[in-house]
Amino acid sequence: MLCQIIVQAKKHLSLIPLFLFIRAGGIGAALYLLHLALFNPDVCWDRKNNPEPWNKLCPNDKYKFYSVNVDYNKLKKERLDF
Amino acid sequence: MAAPAQLGLQNAASPIMEELIAFHDHALMIIFLISSLVLYIISLMLTTKLTHTSTMNAQEIEMIWTILPAMILIMIALPSLRILYMTDEFNKPYLTLKAIGHQWYWSYEYSDYEDLAFDSYIMPTYFLEPGEFRLLEVDNRTTLPMEADIRVLISSQDVLHSWAVPSLGVKTDAIPGRLNQAMVASMRPGLYYGQCSEICGSNHSFMPIVLEFIYFQDFEVWASYLYIV
Repeated sequence: MLCQIIVQAKKHLSLIPLFLFIRAGGIGAALYLLHLALFNPDVCWDRKNNPEPWNKLCPNDKYKFYSVNVDYNKLKKERLDF
Repeated sequence: MAAPAQLGLQNAASPIMEELIAFHDHALMIIFLISSLVLYIISLMLTTKLTHTSTMNAQEIEMIWTILPAMILIMIALPSLRILYMTDEFNKPYLTLKAIGHQWYWSYEYSDYEDLAFDSYIMPTYFLEPGEFRLLEVDNRTTLPMEADIRVLISSQDVLHSWAVPSLGVKTDAIPGRLNQAMVASMRPGLYYGQCSEICGSNHSFMPIVLEFIYFQDFEVWASYLYIV
């Protein structure tokens, strides 16, 4: 399939930007999915050692992909530990 | 609130709504530019006497009309994602308000103030004073302090509702059994109107929301006065 892409791209140069954007979009979507799978507290991979990660949330952890104004590291932890 | 026959967004009362209006203007300008360009090209094509029946290869224009739309889409997507994450942010709220939807009224609880809670029914048309707005006024307005971040916890006691106030850029579903969180902050005092935005039965159109933002000191006085359950 990669061979076919390269052959077609050599014949029609205008296909190169198309392939680049599609590849970038696909990789971006896959990376975001990976980010969600690895860092989202709603996802449980290890039922034995870490069965409910959504119960272990901390105010200083960064769970969102991108934080605009709030720096979660600088927030003070005002709650008691149970 | 909206003026009669208003087409555009209402004036912003919160920073988030200002961002939303700016993004809306940005995206709409791009839409207008593209539409005018396409209309112009169509008009050129329909009025030309030139013909070319043997176009087999058009590499340059294909490159342009691949790269340019991709750039335009990126220019739309990046501000959009920024605003999306911004609306989901929660700074330290000064006050927490619970807005609970019922059929067909809203009830508000200010749990920070020991048992301060009230129901907010629509003001029937025959009770309206001159100058008040039909189907938008309520008997007990939700009073809040201005220039303060307020966390609103929204839920429902029976069916789906949605708590929406357009001038503040808030619309959050009220789902029974679930607590949704929204942040509300007004930069100026005033009355901000909204309506239930999820079909909830026969009186879905008749359960409005009125937020009354007042000065901080007046809010403290109001809260200490009012203990209606």
